[in-house]
Amino acid sequence: MQDYLFFALKRLVQLAAVVFAGVSAAFVVAHYSPISPVETIIGRVAGQSTFSPTAIESLRQTLNELFGLNAPLHEQFINFWVRFLQGDLGPSLIAFPTPAMTLVMLALPWTVGLLTVQIIVAWLIGNILGGLAGYYQNNRFLKAFGVMAIGIQPIPYYIVAFLMVIIFGFLWPVLPISGGFAMNVRPSFTPEFILSVLRHAILPITSLILVGIGTWFLGMRALVSNIVTEDYVTYAELAGVDRDKIVYSYVMRNAMVPQLTALAMALGGIFSGTIITEQVFSYPGLGTLLIRAVNGGDSTLVLAVSSVAVIAVASAIFIIDLIHPLLDPRVKVG
Amino acid sequence: MKHLLTLAAAAVIGLGGGASAVLAQEEAVAPPITDFPREQTLIIHNPEQPATNPPNFNIWVAGNGAAWSNGLHQLVMDTLWFIDPDAGIDGALYNQLATDVWQYNEDFTAMTVSLREGIYWSDGEEFTADDVVFTVETQMATPGMVWSAPFTENVASVEAVDDYTVKFNLSQPNSRFHAIFSVRWNAAWIMPEHIFSEVDDVLAYQFNPPVGLGPYTLHSFDPNGYWYVWEKREDWDRTALAQWGEPAPQYIIYRSIPSTDNRLIEMVNGDLDMIHDLTPEGMFSLVEQRDTARGWFPGFPYAHPDPTLPMVIFNTQNEMFQDKRVRWALALMLDARAISMASYRGAATLSAIAIPPTGTHPDDYHIPMQEWLEGYELDLGNGETITPYDPTIGLQVADMVRPQFGDEVPTDEAAIRRAFGYGWWGQNIEAATTLLESAGFTKQGNTWMQPNGEPFEFTINTFTEGVINRFGTIVAQQWSQQGVQVTALADPQIYSASLPLGDYEAATAWSIETWGGDPDLSFFLDSWHSDYVAEPGERQPARNWQRWTNADLDRIIEEVRVTEFTDPRNLELGQEFVKLMVEEMPVIPVMSFNVFSVYDTAYWTGFPTAEENPYANIVTNWSNSKYIFTQLEPTGGM
Repeated sequence: MQDYLFFALKRLVQLAAVVFAGVSAAFVVAHYSPISPVETIIGRVAGQSTFSPTAIESLRQTLNELFGLNAPLHEQFINFWVRFLQGDLGPSLIAFPTPAMTLVMLALPWTVGLLTVQIIVAWLIGNILGGLAGYYQNNRFLKAFGVMAIGIQPIPYYIVAFLMVIIFGFLWPVLPISGGFAMNVRPSFTPEFILSVLRHAILPITSLILVGIGTWFLGMRALVSNIVTEDYVTYAELAGVDRDKIVYSYVMRNAMVPQLTALAMALGGIFSGTIITEQVFSYPGLGTLLIRAVNGGDSTLVLAVSSVAVIAVASAIFIIDLIHPLLDPRVKVG
Repeated sequence: MKHLLTLAAAAVIGLGGGASAVLAQEEAVAPPITDFPREQTLIIHNPEQPATNPPNFNIWVAGNGAAWSNGLHQLVMDTLWFIDPDAGIDGALYNQLATDVWQYNEDFTAMTVSLREGIYWSDGEEFTADDVVFTVETQMATPGMVWSAPFTENVASVEAVDDYTVKFNLSQPNSRFHAIFSVRWNAAWIMPEHIFSEVDDVLAYQFNPPVGLGPYTLHSFDPNGYWYVWEKREDWDRTALAQWGEPAPQYIIYRSIPSTDNRLIEMVNGDLDMIHDLTPEGMFSLVEQRDTARGWFPGFPYAHPDPTLPMVIFNTQNEMFQDKRVRWALALMLDARAISMASYRGAATLSAIAIPPTGTHPDDYHIPMQEWLEGYELDLGNGETITPYDPTIGLQVADMVRPQFGDEVPTDEAAIRRAFGYGWWGQNIEAATTLLESAGFTKQGNTWMQPNGEPFEFTINTFTEGVINRFGTIVAQQWSQQGVQVTALADPQIYSASLPLGDYEAATAWSIETWGGDPDLSFFLDSWHSDYVAEPGERQPARNWQRWTNADLDRIIEEVRVTEFTDPRNLELGQEFVKLMVEEMPVIPVMSFNVFSVYDTAYWTGFPTAEENPYANIVTNWSNSKYIFTQLEPTGGM
């Protein structure tokens, strides 16, 4: 037990180091962006109006001062970490003075909801069918599914998404192709709102599942194909052990360990958002927010989204590290 | 594992069941996006990305993430005057909250405005001169608001002479001070004094729900910023817009739809009445599929020419472009027909002169100056002259697209000229060669060499996508074919960094934007004065990106500054400017920025049209589009 606690502590220190390095790298990248939030705002404010050159210069100076962009980078870096440790990432520069985390929290539920369901559904279907396909290698249905999965997987995601828009929004227009919910319902925990959200999620989620399922299917099929050649499986078959028991308890359970690791990492990656899905289906989420922050030169908002993503991925890996020794007795923690 | 299987099955069934329940409708029809009565609802595409800060309606704060063209500045905001980029309902100049045009004193150091009586904010408070005074004083006292800098620069003091008269005392003579309150796309909107005077931190205030002087109020909005619904005020007749009639739609919905394909599909499905813009190809496809959809022009080229002038901009501080013979030679190497075809698939409205061919400008500039242009003689530098202007270029483009678009292309010559342009410089490689040779350039093989012995090669920065990107690419290609090695660079920072910092050699962008509905050129021209031209390496303020200086240009600008806005002398000065630009060619004007805006007449009619009633700009993000709503009539549905 003492070994395990020491192992956990070591991993915790690693987690802190990874978060520090990741967020610091994001800070540097965000601050070396050639896009200036001040120039973005000036472009919007003065681009279509009769601002004199001197008025534009005056606005530029005011905004630089207001946003604290005149301070040296190392000073901004230290200020950032002081605020970060207090749970404050600072105000967004393209929605000044709204805190960047307020904007992140507005978009986060949509992304988490969409991707969690997508990843779990794709993971379950892909792994179960992949595992069965690896074991029952002559089953026609599973073979056909394999061909389909291999066929769809290489198609670029945006093509699949556009196809779904064209099929279900244009040729056979039965599903909404834009937005997270209908305009005539108010966000609330009512059946009407929940149904509206589900209805609007069908196309984006199905498009993601279609392209995501193949990876899990092929990975699991390959893993199981190797495991079925192991001696213990052959021995179990010769000993007359029930085939379902062999498949689910001996084969797939053994193959599941790397897939669980990959699942945790995929779930951690949710916080980066799905830019193409959000653009194609006008669906709210972190991806669009991140793009807008990058295009607007909003280093604070880029950092807020990046920090959430870094912390999520690092935490997912940390949790995997902690539970791995518990799941797989071959892993030593000493 | 059995549990996992059960879960998987449940997920599949749930997903499939949900889908099939939706799909099992008797007839495949587009799902209704709203329960608002369709015959009372106008649905408009907002080209802005979904608002960064959706619940923020404080339009006076710079960079607070509030959306502007989500209906807020079209339906809720108001100010003293509007100058329409097109003809206007009863002339392009609207006295909106003012009863008359601006009244300056003799030396333009004071401006007095009479305000309308009987105008009310949407919460029932009366609009008075105090609101105007508060708007100016608050922004002067609060740096970081949109109009803080222009007010601080210009206003010494502002006073309410009485409830309906405001006097601005200016800190320096300015005959165009009224432009701050004159909407082209937007302008300084009036703030409700009774609301904001109670606010401690104006910069952080969200102003939700907004209280406005326009005829609509906020009904509801998407917390993620994709749509905003506005409802007509019961007391719409107590707003300034009522002078032009009752806005017909009870509800107006603005929707952000980033994907071009989705916009097209939504209109075909009847879920959009106005689209801000499509690609040229999207436009051609939509009018083919939807009988009730149309653009500004009744047929090809469909698009609305905005009062913005895409051009080739030379960095005149670069040694390569300081000789006007070189700039002219590059202009004569271009084939405008090919540029039109490559950038707009032929749907460009060409302009040889430095004025966008739109709004009232063709009647003020392009048509009256045809004779001068046709007779214009260009000195090639070796004693020879040519007349480079070809008035038939637009007609030739029309002929080129006719085989594909047939009856959609106009046949009447006047209509063709208005749609395709009044002419351009004929491609003349021989004259270009003479000009370059007289400037000391030599040709080795198929490569032009500069007088200093270096190859004549440069980069042209252009947009990352769209028609301007295609424009930059075809220009680079045409010059390269003639022995000037030009590389097109897709530049995401063209306006925010490259042009202002002078970090470019040539560019396809624009440095000319005009009122559109008035011949006065001060909107862009004042910023071209040599006083504002930055040293190489320093940041150049908008809009003289070419960094061109000229004594005659300064003289014109200085005379405009002391000429009252409505004085006909402004048109003469404008025409002098055009001639100077032709002579010097510091930029190569090419065409107006044509926006493929579409509207659908299935539910509403009365939209402005190029051919019959060009009373307003149909491009939906312009706040002037508010006037359209007073002219609409419901059709009763499909």
